[in-house]
Amino acid sequence: MDAITLENVTKSYDAVTAVSGVNLRVRQGAILGLLGPNGAGKTTTIRMIMNILVPDEGSIKVLDQPVSDSTRDLIGYLPEERGLYPRMKVLDIIVFLAALHGLTEEEAGRRAKEWLERLGLADWSGKKLLDLSKGMQQKVQFITAVIHKPPLVILDEPFSGLDPVNAATVEEIMLEMRSKGSTIVLSTHRMEQVERMCDSICLIDKGRNVLDGEIRAIKQSYGKNTLHIEFTGNDNFLSSPAIINLTRLGNGVEAKLKPGADPQEILKAAVQANVSITRFELLEPSLNEIFIDRTTRA
Amino acid sequence: MRKLRLIIKREYLTRVKTKGFIIGTILVPLLGVAFCLLIIFLVRHRPSQTMRLVVVDNSGTLAQPITHNLDGKLENGQPEFTIVETIVHPASPDAVQQDLRSRINSEKIDAYLWIPADATQSFELHMRNPDNFALIGPLSGAVDQAVISARLSDRGVHLDDVKEILRGTDLKLLKVSEAGESVEKGQSIGIAIALVILLYTALLMYGIITMRSVLEEKTTRTMEVLISAVTPFELLCGKILGVAAAAFTQFAIWMISTALLFTYGALAAAGMGAGSALSGVHIPISLVLYAGIFFFGGYFLYSAMFAAIGAACSNEQDAQQLQWIAMAPLVFCMVIYSVVLNDPSSTTSVVLSEIPFFSPVLMALRISLLTPPAWQIVLALVLLFLTTIGSIYASAKIYRVGILMYGKRPSLVEMFRWLRYS
Repeated sequence: MDAITLENVTKSYDAVTAVSGVNLRVRQGAILGLLGPNGAGKTTTIRMIMNILVPDEGSIKVLDQPVSDSTRDLIGYLPEERGLYPRMKVLDIIVFLAALHGLTEEEAGRRAKEWLERLGLADWSGKKLLDLSKGMQQKVQFITAVIHKPPLVILDEPFSGLDPVNAATVEEIMLEMRSKGSTIVLSTHRMEQVERMCDSICLIDKGRNVLDGEIRAIKQSYGKNTLHIEFTGNDNFLSSPAIINLTRLGNGVEAKLKPGADPQEILKAAVQANVSITRFELLEPSLNEIFIDRTTRA
Repeated sequence: MRKLRLIIKREYLTRVKTKGFIIGTILVPLLGVAFCLLIIFLVRHRPSQTMRLVVVDNSGTLAQPITHNLDGKLENGQPEFTIVETIVHPASPDAVQQDLRSRINSEKIDAYLWIPADATQSFELHMRNPDNFALIGPLSGAVDQAVISARLSDRGVHLDDVKEILRGTDLKLLKVSEAGESVEKGQSIGIAIALVILLYTALLMYGIITMRSVLEEKTTRTMEVLISAVTPFELLCGKILGVAAAAFTQFAIWMISTALLFTYGALAAAGMGAGSALSGVHIPISLVLYAGIFFFGGYFLYSAMFAAIGAACSNEQDAQQLQWIAMAPLVFCMVIYSVVLNDPSSTTSVVLSEIPFFSPVLMALRISLLTPPAWQIVLALVLLFLTTIGSIYASAKIYRVGILMYGKRPSLVEMFRWLRYS
């Protein structure tokens, strides 16, 4: 059974087509990275899965049921647009939203306290939301998305505004939920996080999904065409015609090779130029590169 | 239904727990009590000291009847005036006046009354504090009565006869209905006017709160989270009912305190011999019941309209500019009021009173004036109910589409177009 099935989904607003003919299957128990440039149609897609918007064409199923008002209780949702009632107390708002998702108020209260404890907010449970920092509010909102243990969780930029320690905690929680069988859709621009956590990705550009599948398979299909070089000395050797794209990193470069080019030629050029090389590795492209490659293609 | 209950509960508690609500709820009756007490105090305020008065009578006849009339009592039971001395036909008026003035200045007496030889001339009251109206009033009355009485008896007429002759008549109004006759003292129109005022006040206060409450999720950006848990219809119903519950709580507290105040006020007034104006007025229970039903119906219909405006806008400024749409029919009601009042059973009146936006006021007015056929009342109520549900449903649709609209205020044409969106 798939957690989410989108078939030929299209949605337009007046003159603009936001999503056009998107097909997608998300395997249950997987973490899917939903990627795409700003304005690509990610949020519209998510809103259609949430039944906040209704597609003009195509069908959407969540856990094998056509989306409806009742499928929404199967989903935990952290929207891109953050905000909770600012004058409500932290504990009250978590309990309120959890109760709306079907928990009893006692159960909601019990779980809310556990979550607040785990995310280091126990001392803040009686405070009004507006007294909390942005990062803390973000954590409260994260709790409201997962407290009812939904089989499917949709998180839109869950790490924005979180410090590295909290980001690690959230990441840990997400992996733990996957191990318990939950499916997670993660929309983010942080490629390293996607690379680390996601099983598969769906890349949307201009309303169409231009790439989807398991990350490993996608990378393999690109082949080992990327050189990771760390060195000290003159970088003139990099102006070889065999290199078609160059990304400068802190201590080196990531160079994309022309199809059929021989990486040994580059190494030779570097040695001849008396450059001291500390690392020279042929790799699959990073997700970042694939993203740029796919979304800047004419 | 469970979700609806949760939304109502949250809405109610957040409204009721605000400082503004608590202060308003307590302060309004307290101010009312303070105001009433102030009026009672001003009305009932009596001087607490007896005026020591010397009467100087140049006429020789008026001193006796005037002092006879000065028989008022102070609050503490003491007489208002004590006549220290009566000087009839003083031998040397100037010397007497000189002496009396010095007695006033040394506070041995408070005032002296100078009665002229001829009653067409001025009477004079000499005193230290000429602004003591509480005692000047009764004194002036006593002088008038004595003089008029004297003039009348000169012509051989007795004062009591004149009073009897001049007494006005009493035109009693009786309302005839199937139930028999009842004394009419304007209570029918009174009920209808009270209903308009009550509806207008309730909506001015709470219609706008409903509108703001619907906007709340948008201005705080809570909407998307909430809409992922409940339907817009549930959300809007919950908000309207939650705010209504808060409104009725506040109104109930005010009304109970007003009722208590009136009961005590009436008792106090009865003690003063007033309060008879309202006795004999009979307001039928059925009329109160109908007025109540139409008040609730009207309240919900109009709050649904305020909710629709909140649903269509994305910020308060825009919403405030549109709120006249919700108030306009109620204002129109007041304009066409007289049409129904003049002829409550005319076709125009019947049709107007069936229109849901007007029926809360106009049907209630008709019921108070005559008893319309039952089917007309039932039809008005059914239409009112359906329109209310319809407007909430339409608001929910507008709300759902409006989620995507930020910044721009929708035109009326756009709002109608949104109704057709799925």
